[in-house]
Amino acid sequence: MTRKELITTLQKIIKPYAQNQEAFKNISEETDFINDLKINSANLVDVILDVEDEFGIEIDNESMEKMLSVKSAIDIIETKLAET
Amino acid sequence: MIGNDVIDLSLAKIESNWQRRGFLEKQFTANEQQLILAATNSFSLVWRLWSMKEAAYKVFTQKNEMCFFAPKKFDCLLISNKEGMVLYKDRKFYTSSIVTQHYIFTLASYEKLIKPYSKFVMPQVIDIMIKIKLEDVTRFSALEIEQKKSKNGAPFYYYKDILLTRSCSISHHGNYGVFSLLYA
Repeated sequence: MTRKELITTLQKIIKPYAQNQEAFKNISEETDFINDLKINSANLVDVILDVEDEFGIEIDNESMEKMLSVKSAIDIIETKLAET
Repeated sequence: MIGNDVIDLSLAKIESNWQRRGFLEKQFTANEQQLILAATNSFSLVWRLWSMKEAAYKVFTQKNEMCFFAPKKFDCLLISNKEGMVLYKDRKFYTSSIVTQHYIFTLASYEKLIKPYSKFVMPQVIDIMIKIKLEDVTRFSALEIEQKKSKNGAPFYYYKDILLTRSCSISHHGNYGVFSLLYA
């Protein structure tokens, strides 16, 4: 999967949790989950669980700690996919 | 330093499913998971513990300019229906929670005997209500009081260059808004 494809899949996952639709429409690698998309912090775990299900990977605690932006999420997904 | 968190329980019910596979395991320590599963009202305890973690995180990040998502590392201890403690690395936070059928509110602080001013208001008017409160206390005009944010989003209130809040924490969720202030 290319980085662009990964972002498209991630976008689909994030959609129900993003409260700022304007920021969601203009999503880029620089987009921050909490500050830009206004994802409720209690929903971050849902994003992580959805990512795990969608890509068939396991996000360990250390990776989860950094999963706060599109860029870091994609980096983590790429790394985990390469490991499997 | 203080940090607060409010949860609208009717919204939490819709937004999150605490019984989802992995939900507890990813965010709560083994001890917390046991407490939740043994509780008569597991739903309520999930959100009390979550609000304790969130409030403590907000205290910690006010001076430490970094963001991270590590709820499991904020280890909660319940002392009474109201009082609690959260441990994170070498830090200790004291918490005080109000748990009702409709909402949960937690205030966290490094110090045990701190008495900040907290007020519930409509979420849309939090900022102006803080300015009005600061006007009452400082006599500076609310219209000239400004909010500035630290790098990771912690709010501070100023009149010109004068810092008016030693610590300020704002939360809103669903129908609930709340702010807590320590005056400078």
